Amino acid sequence: MERIELTYPATEKLQHKALAGVVGSGDLEAMFIPHQEKMLKIIIKTSVDGSKHRWQNLFNRFASLHALPMGTLEINDFASTPGVAKLRIEQVFEEANYA
Amino acid sequence: MPNRDMSFIELSARERARRILDQGSFRELLDPFEKITSPWLEPQGIVPEFDDGMVVAKGKFNGKPTVIIAIEGVFQGGSMGEVSGAKMAAALELAAEDNRSGIATQALLLFETGGVRLQEANLGLAAIADIHSAIVDLRRYVPVIGITAGTVGCFGGMSIAAGLCSYLVVTREARLGLNGPQVIEQEAGIEEYNSRDRPFIWSMTGGEVRYKNGFADIIVKDSVNDVKTAIIQCMNKGLPDTLRSDDYDYYLQKLNAIDTSKQADATLVKNIFGRGDRK
Amino acid sequence: MLANLKSNRAWDSRLNEKKRRCNAVNKLANGKVLATDSFVEALEKLIVAGDRVVLEGNNQKQADFLARKLSQVDPNIIHNLHMLMPSIGLPEHLDIFEKGIAKKLDFSFSGTQSLRISQLLADHILEIGAIHTYIELYARLFVDLIPNVALVAAYKADRNGNLYTGPSTEDTPSIVEATAFKNGIVIAQVNELVDDEADLPRVDIPASWVDFVVVADKPFFIEPLFTRDPRLIKPIHVLMGMMAIKGIYAKHQVKSLNHGIGFNTAAIELLLPTYGEQLGLKGKICQHWALNPHPTLIPAIECGWVETVHCFGGELGMEKYMAARPDIFFTGHDGSMRSNRTLCQLAGQYGVDMFVGSTLQVDGLGNSSTVTHGRLSGFGGAPNMGHDPHGRRHATSAWLDMMQSQNPVDRGHKLVVQMVETFQAGAKPTFVEQLDAVEVGKESDMPIAPVMIYGDDITHVLTEEGIAYLYQAKSLEERRAMVAAVAGITDIGLGVDSKRVAQFRKEGKVAFPQDLGIQPTQAQRSLLAANSIADLVEWSDGLYDPPARFKSW
Repeated sequence: MERIELTYPATEKLQHKALAGVVGSGDLEAMFIPHQEKMLKIIIKTSVDGSKHRWQNLFNRFASLHALPMGTLEINDFASTPGVAKLRIEQVFEEANYA
Repeated sequence: MPNRDMSFIELSARERARRILDQGSFRELLDPFEKITSPWLEPQGIVPEFDDGMVVAKGKFNGKPTVIIAIEGVFQGGSMGEVSGAKMAAALELAAEDNRSGIATQALLLFETGGVRLQEANLGLAAIADIHSAIVDLRRYVPVIGITAGTVGCFGGMSIAAGLCSYLVVTREARLGLNGPQVIEQEAGIEEYNSRDRPFIWSMTGGEVRYKNGFADIIVKDSVNDVKTAIIQCMNKGLPDTLRSDDYDYYLQKLNAIDTSKQADATLVKNIFGRGDRK
Repeated sequence: MLANLKSNRAWDSRLNEKKRRCNAVNKLANGKVLATDSFVEALEKLIVAGDRVVLEGNNQKQADFLARKLSQVDPNIIHNLHMLMPSIGLPEHLDIFEKGIAKKLDFSFSGTQSLRISQLLADHILEIGAIHTYIELYARLFVDLIPNVALVAAYKADRNGNLYTGPSTEDTPSIVEATAFKNGIVIAQVNELVDDEADLPRVDIPASWVDFVVVADKPFFIEPLFTRDPRLIKPIHVLMGMMAIKGIYAKHQVKSLNHGIGFNTAAIELLLPTYGEQLGLKGKICQHWALNPHPTLIPAIECGWVETVHCFGGELGMEKYMAARPDIFFTGHDGSMRSNRTLCQLAGQYGVDMFVGSTLQVDGLGNSSTVTHGRLSGFGGAPNMGHDPHGRRHATSAWLDMMQSQNPVDRGHKLVVQMVETFQAGAKPTFVEQLDAVEVGKESDMPIAPVMIYGDDITHVLTEEGIAYLYQAKSLEERRAMVAAVAGITDIGLGVDSKRVAQFRKEGKVAFPQDLGIQPTQAQRSLLAANSIADLVEWSDGLYDPPARFKSW
């Protein structure tokens, strides 16, 4: 198991806290809690060791296509693929927007 | 399109609880945002879950105050750890307290669990014992209704919890047994119990056979509405005249009569426990 | 006259040899029926060392009794066989090599035995002639790999040798034809022997093509290879399925197609009656199929999406359903389905507008392979369907849609779609600089790398990131950049500039889900027409009878 922390500048204001997904094989749960600081703090616990580089790439790519929300994103990952991870992250941000 | 409303099996533990309770009444206790996670998993290199795989919520069912406790089968096979076990036990104990104080609180337990979480060993087992005591306490006041739908089913110490419930509702995809198929195969050998032989497994522990042999009270289709209807039926019956777990003389006599030198199969089980009124 | 150049050879040596061998088993046979008990002895007389033997291991049906018996012959009598096998699916198929009975192997697909083949090859226990695609191997049975003996499987035979192969006809007609009409010996294992032709549901292989039948000790093994449990379809498969339907099927109005095996295509099949219906596509796409009888196609059939399905092989549990839907499936006068792999492969090659498949690795130019280190899995039929056949002359709107030039003699192109997630489980990138197949080819002394589908045949790559419309690429360099645009955070994907990707999206050369009007968060399992095997049974009105291992009740 590995713990990874990443921080990105953020501008988007989402209203609600939200949770998406479940810690099952090939999946993850993502929890978003909004705050006022202009940054997105990301804390990942993952069952896959040595995956920091991949998570960084995933969020770099995400940041290049979306404005990131201000808050903390915590992820408990059970060996999800980057595709599944991205889908869950999009889902939790959407729920935080409309919940 | 098959004439079926929303699948119950498809839903996560939280969604099952939310959809069973009256609309808008779901209020979760110790929700995942409280982050009460297992202290034992991370040191063993296992990723935790924010709710430790246990959803406890209060709300209304059919207009009456209800506590609903749902185990998430996807997280660690629905296994019972120190935290998840304590959440369930405490919720049941509080419901009993409420009832003693004159607040009638119904209890619904959604089992999807392989039993104790091996990584938390005795702490999980102790929690399961607390759950057993709490069910026995609470069922004196209100019917405690268990539901196991699949895909995990209900095994280990939690199958005893299911057996202690006033009523048990199953689907045909559910399984109910003290030991899981792999454990039996490992202990008794593949000739006696092949854990990959699915028809055999379901013929021994599946929802349908458990219902026919009197170990479950109602069998329902995989449908949110049908599950709710079954719960209403159980509640309308009130406290049962006899509890399965009080009927130990009947079961002991049956168990003692079994010829263990013979390979057990569905017919043998049916001959011992079968209830002719359930086809 | 050049009379002195005329050969003095005998012209019927194969025929005479066949007669010699058949006479040698007179005592072991009752007419055409060989006794089960003494069958190994019979094989030792009917097969000769050095023979070319075609053994029916098909994709689904396996002549497992014959394989088992062949592995029991005395290697001092019979050795050095040259085995021709469409598919190697059973351990017995390779025991023949380990015991020294056979030496050389020409095959198409190995699946579960792919690891062991690699090992036996490395240990020089077997030699590989070539790894073929299915129809390529059948074709060679009529050219330079003509069999001396064919070992095939059927459900039933009568005493004259008429065979009923029914829904599992698969490769049998082609294998038997190549042998029977070149004076080879055809031996069929059957589950059941009946006295008279009238007791057979129908005749799939006529008696005069068959030399011997033997009743197997147990029914032939058949693998339900094409059953996908809807329970295992994930939201990401739903997302990719929605993208495929809207961004490819609807865009190009694809009416005829083949689907590979896999959860992506299973998701598409289950999305037609729901998402496809919402888009108003019924009757406009997906009417004619060259496809194994996928249980996940049942809801689309029941909702009236599907006009016809021709099948390569059968699928366990689908027999009653297909028999009850003769307008959709090809069925005999007895009512049961008839499959035929050769003809279905041809249908999939020439008749359909689109192939959608999945793979384990894709390189920067779109070349793909399922051969990875230590696994010589072979090709099967995917390359036959997954290429643009230059022998095609009929036009359809989907085929014409791929035409990119104003050249007066330009032609259309089959849609060849690779549908993959950018990473496999276990953090393995699907997109790689170089296919493992290149190294494996070198290590195994293969003259060419075992590429499954060549990049220049691919028209679309679809990932969870987006669709690359590769047929629009103006150059190899642009093709590479378009593949990279949908390759996510693999090294290939990270190698493309984001401005270029934005330009591709503007030009319609690449589409992200949002460009197609699809919100990834809409991709829910509840969109699937069936969530479980039980749902499929319900859709079929109880006609689909799933194999035990797929039942959870």
